[in-house]
Amino acid sequence: MSRFLLLIVLLVLGSGQVSANPRYSDPDGCLSCHAYEGLSFIDEHGVLRSATIDRNHYASSLHGSVPCKDCHREVVDYPHKVENTEVDCSESCHIEEPSEGVKYSHDVIHEEMDKSVHAGGWYKGLTGGNRLEEIETEQDPSCRRCHSNTLYIAETQLANFKKEFDHAETECGNCHQGKAWMGQFGGHILRRLVGRRWNNQENNQMCIDCHGDAKKMRDVEQEDPKTLEKHPPSDRFVHSADSYAKTLHGRLIVDGSAYGASCIDCHAPEGWKHEIRSYLDSESASHPDKLPETCGQSNCHGYAKKPGNEGFTLTDMHDVSLLGLTYMDKPFEVKAVRASKWFWSSWPLLLIALVFAVSSLVWWLRFRDTKKIVPIVGADRFESVIIGRKGKAKAERKAPEKKPVVKKVVKPAAKAPIEPKEPVMPDAVADNKESLAPTVAEVTEKQVMQKEPMLPAESEKLKSAPIEAIIEKEKPIEIDKTEAELPKVDNDSNNKGA
Amino acid sequence: MQVIENIKAIPKMQKFRYAMILLASMSLLGPLAFLPQLVGSDDLCGSLCMRRFYLYFPGMTWEDFFVHVNAASIGVMAFSLIMITTLFFGRIWCGYLCPVGGLAELSSRMLNDRWKIEFRSLPQVQIRYGYFGFFLVAMPALGISACSLCNFITIPRLIEAMSGEYRGMVFLVSSVGLVNLGLLLLLGVFASKGRAYCQFMCPIGAADGLVNRLGAKMPFARRIRVAKERCTGCNICARNCMCGAIKMVDKVATVDQVSCMSCHECVDVCDWNALAWTTRPNHKVNEPKRIKKNTEIFPLPDWQAVHFNPVKPEAEGGIETGPAISLLSVFNAMIFLTVVSIIIVGSFL
Repeated sequence: MSRFLLLIVLLVLGSGQVSANPRYSDPDGCLSCHAYEGLSFIDEHGVLRSATIDRNHYASSLHGSVPCKDCHREVVDYPHKVENTEVDCSESCHIEEPSEGVKYSHDVIHEEMDKSVHAGGWYKGLTGGNRLEEIETEQDPSCRRCHSNTLYIAETQLANFKKEFDHAETECGNCHQGKAWMGQFGGHILRRLVGRRWNNQENNQMCIDCHGDAKKMRDVEQEDPKTLEKHPPSDRFVHSADSYAKTLHGRLIVDGSAYGASCIDCHAPEGWKHEIRSYLDSESASHPDKLPETCGQSNCHGYAKKPGNEGFTLTDMHDVSLLGLTYMDKPFEVKAVRASKWFWSSWPLLLIALVFAVSSLVWWLRFRDTKKIVPIVGADRFESVIIGRKGKAKAERKAPEKKPVVKKVVKPAAKAPIEPKEPVMPDAVADNKESLAPTVAEVTEKQVMQKEPMLPAESEKLKSAPIEAIIEKEKPIEIDKTEAELPKVDNDSNNKGA
Repeated sequence: MQVIENIKAIPKMQKFRYAMILLASMSLLGPLAFLPQLVGSDDLCGSLCMRRFYLYFPGMTWEDFFVHVNAASIGVMAFSLIMITTLFFGRIWCGYLCPVGGLAELSSRMLNDRWKIEFRSLPQVQIRYGYFGFFLVAMPALGISACSLCNFITIPRLIEAMSGEYRGMVFLVSSVGLVNLGLLLLLGVFASKGRAYCQFMCPIGAADGLVNRLGAKMPFARRIRVAKERCTGCNICARNCMCGAIKMVDKVATVDQVSCMSCHECVDVCDWNALAWTTRPNHKVNEPKRIKKNTEIFPLPDWQAVHFNPVKPEAEGGIETGPAISLLSVFNAMIFLTVVSIIIVGSFL
C-alpha cells in the first residue's frame, strides 16, 4: 500500500529524476530505527561504527531498489544481533535478469575462484563481514582485496556516461519499454556498456600491488597442484612482476598501448577471469600444453595455434635471467660479487685486455714507424676481392724483397729479384702505363703518384713494397698458395657481383 | 698534434655526417632520449620497435599482422619514413642518422686500423639476405625471440649502463646482453670501418638496401653514381667505402646499390669527380660528341647507378654480361643460409 502511495507521489511530482526517488519503501521497517542520525555501536574491536542509513543516499545507490532483508537475511526480528547482519555475496541475488527470469548469483564466480590458486581467500563470511577483519597476514586475497569499494562510475568516464545517459531512454527504450525495467537496469547496463571500469593498466596494477612486493611474495607458501605439498616460492614466482615488466607485453601496457597482454589476459583468459591456476596444473591456461590456445586468443597471436609454430610458445614471459642482479643494493659484498656475472665474465675480459696490452707494446717496439697499417684479419682478401689485385699481387709477393716493413724513407730494394717463377713483370709494367695509379692506394702514395705520375722507377719502388709484409713476412710461399685460390672464389660468387 | 691534423683532414661532408650521427644519438639514446620520450618510451623498444612487425609466423593471417603493426605503431611509421626517404635520397637514415650503426662506426674509426677485422670483402649481399630470410621466417618458427640478436637493444642499454643506470647493467650481464655485446665489438668496433653489423645482420638495413636498389633506376632517385670514363682506377673510393659497396672491376669503380649507404665519402675522396651523389642526368648518355685525334670526348658524364659487368670486346659485339648482383645467387644464399641456420639452431633446441 505504501508503495502505491509513493508511486502516486512520484507521479504527482512528475519528477524525471529516477535516482532521487525512493523506488521501494522499506517493507521490513528497518529504517524506522536506522534512519536516526547518530545511531552507532562499538564493535568487538572497539571501533565506533555508524549504523545510520540516509534514506536518500540508499535509495539513489545501486541497491536502492533492494529491500534490506534481501541481503541481510539472518536478521529476522528486532532487536537483532550484530553477528547476524553479515552479507554473503556468493548467495543467489535479489536481481532477476529480465530476459531469462533467473536470479543473478555470484556462484559461478565463486566456483571458478575455488579452482584457482587464490581459492583460500574466499570463505563464507569474510566476503561480506567486517571490513576491519580483512587480514593482512592472510596470503590469499579475499573478494574485496581486488574488488575494492571504488566509485560506481569512474571519474574519467563520468562525462561519457552522462552523454550516453541522455540517449538511453530512446535507444534502449525502443525495445525495453516500461519504467521499472529502465529505471532498474538502465543505468546499470549502460555503465557496463560505456566501458570497462578498469583498463589493462589498472588490472595489472591490482596484481602488482601484491605480486610486485618481493618481500611479501617471499613469505608465500606455494602448493604443488598434484601432490599438494607446500614449498617455499621460487625466484621465478617472487620476481614475476619484475620479469613481466621486461617483456614487450609489460612495456606496451605501461606505455598505455591497448595491445599489450595483461596478467589476466594470459593467466585467466576464459570465463569470469578468476580461474588463475598454477602453470603445473594441466588445466591451467599457462600450462605448456595450453599455451598455443592462450597465446592464440582472438586479437592476439592467432597463428600460435597453427602447426609450425611450436617454437612460438617457448618464449619465456617471466625470464628471470633478465633480472640477474639480485644483490644490487649491496653490490660489493663477497656474496654479491660471487653471484655477479660481471665477476665471472671479467676474467676472460682481463685476459683479452692483457693480450691487447702486450701486443700493443710489441707493436710499438717493432712497427711504430710503419706507414702502412692494415687490418689484422682479412686485409689480404680485401685487396684481391674489392680492389681486384689478382695476378699483380702474386707478382709482387714473388718479388723476393725481404724488407718487410715500409719505412718512412723508402730504401731501394736490398736484393734484386732473383729468378721470379713467372715472368710477370712486363705485365705489371704494362699495367702501370695503362692506368695512373693501379697498385698503390694510400693517400700519401697517391700524392706522390700525382706529382710524378709517369715515373716508372718511382712507382716500381712503391709497388715493390709488399702490402701485407707485416703479417706475412716470414712465410711468403704459403701465402702464395692461398692467394692462388682467391681469384677462383672471386670469380665464383663475387664476380657476378662485381 | 697529429690528432688535430687528422681531424682537419676529414672532408667537410664527413664532418657533417659525424655531427648528424652524434646529434641523432643524443636525441634518440639515453640519458636524454629526447625523441623516444615524446612517445613515452626511453629506449628504442616497445612501440618504437622497427624490427619485429614484419616477422612471419607460420599460418599468420593479415589480422595477426595488423595486430603486430598496431603494437609497434610508432616503429612502423618510422620504418615507412625511412623507406620513403631511401627511395628518393638513398639510405640517409643508415648513413647519416642511425645512432646504432653510427656509434659503432665512430668508435671504430677512432681505433687504430691494426686491430680491425676486414669484413668488407665477404659476399655481404648473400650473407645479409640469407640472415634476413632466417630472421623473417625461421627465427619465429624456432621460437627464438627476434630481440635476442638486436643491436637496437644493446646500444641504448650500453649507454644506460655507462650512465650508471641499473636496467642497462642488468641487461648487459644477461646472456642475451653478453652475446649482443660480443656482436657489437666484433662486427662494430673491431670491424674495419665499423659497419659490419649493418652489412650482415641489420634487418632494417636489408629492407632499406632493397628499396635503394629498386629506386636506383628511377629518374628522381639520388644515388651514388659513377662516371666510368672519368674513373682512373685509383681505388681510393673502394678503400674508403665503409660498406664495401664499391668494388674495382677491371680498374673501374662500380657501386653495389644494394649495399651503398650514400654516405658520400667516396665522392669526397675522389680526385677526379668520377663519383657523385646525384640524380639521373637528363642528357643523352654515352654519346660521344665528337672524335678528335682518334680520342672520344665525352662532354657530359653518364652518371651510372646500377652497374653491369664490363663490356667484353671478345664477347659478341660487346654485350653487357649481367647485373652487378646476381639475384639468383642472392636467392640461393637466402635459402642455403636459412636451411643451414635452422639445422644449427634446431640442434640446440
